Amino acid sequence: MKGAYSILLTLTALMIPASPAVAEVPTVDPPEVPVAHTLEAFRQAVRSGGPGKDGIPSIDQPRFHSADAADAMLDDHDKVVGLFLNGEARAYPQRILVWHEIVNDELQGKPVSITYCPLTGTALGFHRGDAELGVSGRLVNSNLVMYDRDTDSEWPQMLGVAIDGPLAGQGLEEIRVIWTTWGAWKARYPETRALSPETGYVRNYRRDPYGSYNPISGYYLPESSRLFPVMAESQRLPPKATVLGFRTAAGAAAVTIPALRDEAVIDLALGGTHYSVIHDAVLDTGWVFHNPQRSEIRVEDLQFGLQGVSGGGTEGLSAVNAFEAMWFAWKAFYPDTLLYQGEEQRP
Amino acid sequence: MTPLRALWQSLCHWPLGQGLVGAMALGYGGLYLWLTGDLGGGGSGVLQATFPAWERVWETRSPFYFEPVGLIEAGPLVWTFSPVNTLFALGLGLLLGTNLVLAWRLRRVSRACGWQASGSTFLSGLPALLAGGACCAPLVLIWLGLPLAGALASITPWLIPLATLLLLASLAYLAMALASSAS
Repeated sequence: MKGAYSILLTLTALMIPASPAVAEVPTVDPPEVPVAHTLEAFRQAVRSGGPGKDGIPSIDQPRFHSADAADAMLDDHDKVVGLFLNGEARAYPQRILVWHEIVNDELQGKPVSITYCPLTGTALGFHRGDAELGVSGRLVNSNLVMYDRDTDSEWPQMLGVAIDGPLAGQGLEEIRVIWTTWGAWKARYPETRALSPETGYVRNYRRDPYGSYNPISGYYLPESSRLFPVMAESQRLPPKATVLGFRTAAGAAAVTIPALRDEAVIDLALGGTHYSVIHDAVLDTGWVFHNPQRSEIRVEDLQFGLQGVSGGGTEGLSAVNAFEAMWFAWKAFYPDTLLYQGEEQRP
Repeated sequence: MTPLRALWQSLCHWPLGQGLVGAMALGYGGLYLWLTGDLGGGGSGVLQATFPAWERVWETRSPFYFEPVGLIEAGPLVWTFSPVNTLFALGLGLLLGTNLVLAWRLRRVSRACGWQASGSTFLSGLPALLAGGACCAPLVLIWLGLPLAGALASITPWLIPLATLLLLASLAYLAMALASSAS
């Protein structure tokens, strides 16, 4: 009887699920993006940005308010980072992000991090599992080096690959976010909610310490100088000219915003295959598709809606993440990048 | 006369000197807060104050730079108020003001007695000016578009304690000079 009782206890113990392990940030191993320099070279290139770890505090309990309430704070030409995920739209004003750089958010039960680096003009979204991302206070190629609060691994935002810590060499899962204006975002997503300035921290959200995007001034001027050393340089564009960049295992490519606006659809050959970049005139951004068969994209049949672009020959093509960046930073991370500046300069 | 007593007498029995030190402390303190970013534009024209984050009073943003606890709007100005940063600003302002006022007094005493005033007394304000400038140097360099801002970023916070030490040393030097002039 006693033996049966012990067996029962053992079985019961085996059936009770162990307390859940602390979930790490979900990763892609090996990463699906090019890593142009060695991890050691990236580590050597890391610089202090001034503030300490979490000295720029991420927003970990974000609050949102309606578009009408956000109108009191935002001008239609103010920059926002937009996210549409699982049927829900959210806008993260640049004037709040510039003080926090990371928002650890959750949409419909999906934990995500919205990240923004003012020094490189880049906004990227990442799945974060149950982990939170924070600001390390360090930079590489002027770009925000994030850390995850589970393993303390360090992730340059634009690279999306850990360069130090237990997860070194692994990539983050990216989510498409949109760098656009408040007016454009509202026009596409009228039901959007916007990040509230009630962040739990006291900041002057009416002032940007680096300059302004509306109108453009200070650090954000295309011709102005970068502040920190970079791993590769190029004079082909002004340092802070905005490019739309994307990268795949095959390599990296960037198109200038004027070229994208002019041509509406750009076909690029990269790493032995083809990609189509489609201009979204409302959001003034681009959508990138892997188009290995060079299927024709019919501009007049393209439809732009909540999910982005559809129709016009994009059916069946797989989307590739893309984001806007200052040229000097894109070149520093992806020195072998293809650069497309317009039909006359087609490579 | 001991240097400390000479310093005390110079300031306590000289209302004009006290006024000058106070004015410099306020002026320099305001400038320091402006340049470090605690004080800035963007006010909506109203007068209002909220203090929603007292629990962050000891949280640092970088060495010697603390989280604000309140937001004070006065006309066009917005002050993200940190008591600790404000104490640093006024403390540095007081040290700078005392240095400059004492240097001026020493020069006057020297002239009255027919001595050759030391030019170094006028350099006594340099450390504080350096500190105030250093705190904001990266911002100024950003405005000017100079890449040097990045190189300064990591050492900037440490210029504050360095400047405090230099100011205290300078004050001690001035107090000793005043004591010897009085004896």
